[in-house]
Amino acid sequence: MGMMSAIATPSVDEEISRSELTDPALPWQTVVWDDPVNLMSYVTHVFREYFGLARADAERLMLAVHNEGHAVVSRGPREQMEMHAQAMHDYGLWATVRQEPR
Amino acid sequence: MNDRIVVMEVARIEAAHLAGLVGQFAELLRESAPEAGDPAIARLVPSAYSDDEDAAREFRSLTQADLLERRGSDAGLVLASLQEAAQIPDDPDDPALLEQVELRLDPGTAQAWLRTLAAVRLVLATRLGIVDEDDHEHDDPRFGVYDWIGYRLDGLVAALDHED
Repeated sequence: MGMMSAIATPSVDEEISRSELTDPALPWQTVVWDDPVNLMSYVTHVFREYFGLARADAERLMLAVHNEGHAVVSRGPREQMEMHAQAMHDYGLWATVRQEPR
Repeated sequence: MNDRIVVMEVARIEAAHLAGLVGQFAELLRESAPEAGDPAIARLVPSAYSDDEDAAREFRSLTQADLLERRGSDAGLVLASLQEAAQIPDDPDDPALLEQVELRLDPGTAQAWLRTLAAVRLVLATRLGIVDEDDHEHDDPRFGVYDWIGYRLDGLVAALDHED
């Protein structure tokens, strides 16, 4: 379930508890949350640099975080979403990983 | 995008204050174990799962040490780049304090500066109890430090994002 789980064989118990929490049909997301400290210019820079977005797209995403309180910055496999969340934490942004809400 | 050298001009006195602040940050990283529960450290390694404690714990066990170690090495790069500029005379009236010095930051060092200034602001904000953008006490000199670091961070972002 984490970043290094591919070779691990989960026990039956773990498999049951995990399947209650996750729905394999739903994609995963990295979500960035608004905070009162990080500068808008800095957040835009991070989105440009890390996700390779054009300035206008990065600004739109930054404004979505700022105005809505959070924004989905990426969708895909769980391991990749965790990698993005770690990268956001490295920049000082507050990011979480979740399955797309039903 | 960012393969340029960033040139930053600072007075020696400012370089010395910056080095002092980043030095305190590095000391906090060295001396405060994440398990000790300092909220400023916690803000640097936030939970990645808001509704799944097991997943949050596993993510933390895989990422926390790396994230904090990199904070420390970033701070070390910033301090090294400031070392020469931050040499100041003891005499507070010495005009050399105001001498302008050029810092030349290569791309890796400029990134370390960005992450470090952003992280120092997060730590200061935690200490100052900033939970809302409007939390600002003009009479408290610590907010002046917070604003100053924000000004330097904003300038660095502008220099890196400048399209020529």
